[in-house]
Amino acid sequence: MAQPAYTVTSDSENTGEEKSSVAFPDIAIGIDIGTSQCRVAVWNGSQVELLKNARNLKMMQSYVTFKDDLSSGGVSNQLSHELDMFSGSVIFNMKRLIGRVDTDPVVHASKSLPFLVQTLNIGVRPIIAALVRNAWRSTTPEEVLAIYLVELRVMVEGQLKRPIRNVVLTTPVSFNRFQLTRIERACAMAGLHVLRLMPEPTAVALLYAQQQQQTAQDSMGSGSEKIALIFNMGAGYCDVAVSATAGGVSQIKALAGSAIGGEDLLQNMMRYLFPESEIMLMRHGVDDIKSMAKLRVATQDAINTLSFQNSVQVDVDIVSGTETCKVVDKVVDREEFEVVNEKVFQQCEILIVQCLHDAKVDVQDIADVILVGGCSKIPKIRNIVQGICKKEAFYKDMNPLEAAVSGAALEGAVASGVSDPFGKLDLLTIQATPLAIGIRADGNKFIPIIPKNTTMPARKELHFTTARDNQNEALVLVYEGGAKIEENYLLGYFKIIGIPPAPKGVPEITVGMDIDATNVLRVFAGATLPGAKEPFFPFMEVRMPTVDDGNGWCDEALHTAYGNRLDLVSLPKKI
Amino acid sequence: MRCYGLVIPGGSDASCFTHARRPTSDPVLRIIYPARIQFASFKAKATIREATKKDASFYELLGIPETGTLPEIKQAYKQLARKYHPDVSPPDRVEEYTRRFIMVQEAYETLSDSRRRALYDRDMARGIHLAFSARRGFQSDLEMEERSEWKNRWEAQLSDLKRRSMTKDARGNLSWGAQMRRQRDELSSE
Repeated sequence: MAQPAYTVTSDSENTGEEKSSVAFPDIAIGIDIGTSQCRVAVWNGSQVELLKNARNLKMMQSYVTFKDDLSSGGVSNQLSHELDMFSGSVIFNMKRLIGRVDTDPVVHASKSLPFLVQTLNIGVRPIIAALVRNAWRSTTPEEVLAIYLVELRVMVEGQLKRPIRNVVLTTPVSFNRFQLTRIERACAMAGLHVLRLMPEPTAVALLYAQQQQQTAQDSMGSGSEKIALIFNMGAGYCDVAVSATAGGVSQIKALAGSAIGGEDLLQNMMRYLFPESEIMLMRHGVDDIKSMAKLRVATQDAINTLSFQNSVQVDVDIVSGTETCKVVDKVVDREEFEVVNEKVFQQCEILIVQCLHDAKVDVQDIADVILVGGCSKIPKIRNIVQGICKKEAFYKDMNPLEAAVSGAALEGAVASGVSDPFGKLDLLTIQATPLAIGIRADGNKFIPIIPKNTTMPARKELHFTTARDNQNEALVLVYEGGAKIEENYLLGYFKIIGIPPAPKGVPEITVGMDIDATNVLRVFAGATLPGAKEPFFPFMEVRMPTVDDGNGWCDEALHTAYGNRLDLVSLPKKI
Repeated sequence: MRCYGLVIPGGSDASCFTHARRPTSDPVLRIIYPARIQFASFKAKATIREATKKDASFYELLGIPETGTLPEIKQAYKQLARKYHPDVSPPDRVEEYTRRFIMVQEAYETLSDSRRRALYDRDMARGIHLAFSARRGFQSDLEMEERSEWKNRWEAQLSDLKRRSMTKDARGNLSWGAQMRRQRDELSSE
């Protein structure tokens, strides 16, 4: 069997190449790489078609096995036994690890996975390694993802009988811009060009827009605006979106997301069933890994069963060290499962309420509630969503596991400029920013310039001034996230230089941000004195993110080096 | 010509960010001074203007009458989005259409919000035509939101949820196992 070429075609942080000018039929394919599973779909000329792998499966597991010189992903490879997945030589959950530093709680939660995740807790990338011939061999999430994507590409090219270049990928809502560049990097390593990255629920919203348009056309209806709440929860992430849909246009009104998912439910349950697992999971001894693999598989089965049964029997033999043999033999009921995971479910509730709040939507205005993702069958999740939205039934016309990838394939066709004689592709998603982007000012405050849920493309600016007399430079620190600066991601930094000498508060400093059609963020800044017609110094234009790694210590280093000497103070709007 | 619409405040004149030399003949960026009212004290603020669209009101931008209803506004917005959104615009006109889309977006955001629309209508009646970004800012947006009723309803629910999840955190100092055992005990004693 020929091993697919593993090529690095680009080393640039931002794959800022021109849109492919290759003629039709280079329709971008849609890829939904989930934390645990992956699907691929393409517009086949009349509808979206999900592609199957050699074993005739539409749903492929997202993992890569490392063996000697050979690595193979879950696209083509089949594990001889379910337990092999948790033997230490298989890397999975890349989506939870990509673009995160070793101080991130999500990385720490991943330390109990069977492969090695090592942290030094200083804000650099963690060491990730697979067990190969009894040694931990290091890799990176980007590399793992790239290996997987190469396999996927080979599979799709074989079936479609044409080279694949352009892709539309779905991403979690909570991903920051740095994480998005890591996804683009992985694609570039696999020789793929990212045409669009879509937050998962917005891909679902596009599919919904298409379905609504078809229905409206069939019934000759007017197609008035319909509000939909989309809730998506998979193994790694939970996303919520509120969209307003009419005439094939789906406008995203608000987004909310967090790195919570089935993996958290699973880990909580494992610790509940076998409290000693905490130590064994972290220890990563050869026996520990084997025992924990059994526990993991049994726990996952139990959780699945609890979705349609009220209680389940769990039996696992666990070998700890050489002498002791422990047995987990327990009946777990659904209520226990819900109590153990109370915090996760509460977090889901908060996300939904937050999203409806941000969308400025009332419950009675919601036309449809769409529940998708691997966790959508969990009764508690269904109850929560139903309770908040006060709806008896969920939207039925979508496969919860295929909705996101189908939406991505539609976007792939639309963005590739394909049109359909029956108007099935007369679609548009108007995206909104999932996170706020702003700068540090007024001491250590985050001042958003492009607020969360701003329609894209966008262009906004705010005015600032100096914090001290005769301050001739100012540091612009660009963050992405929410209200608290400590929890936000530092996207980049630069200095405004040549501020004319003046008492503090007099110079006017303009900071503007621009997100263009391809979601590229540029930050502009410059200073002038009131009354002056020209700036004293050319304005700065900086493309973000500029911080490519180790944002944790970068932040601190800047603080140590400059303190508050180059601070900015925000100016109120004067009108 | 590429222009990012960032303007230096403080002068009656405006220059484009990306071009250090100020274009003298091309009035790309300019505040609008309606003929009826004198603005001696008015200070030029940021605007994103196009020479061709110089005098267009938000209503004209959306192509609806000033009596237009909310459904009409929404419909007009979506139709214009289908035309100007960069995803669907012709490749050679993406930049121009993106600029237009942002203007349409601003018009829609103002007119689809009854409070903002009332303010805008009042200013129009007075002959003040402060288009893009002039009225809206970080602070005024916040003030505006604080007065809305829908917000309070969701906010109460949200703060209640967050408070509940915080109380759970309070006992989070225990190890995970201990926490779970305690929860189990609490359950069984009920």
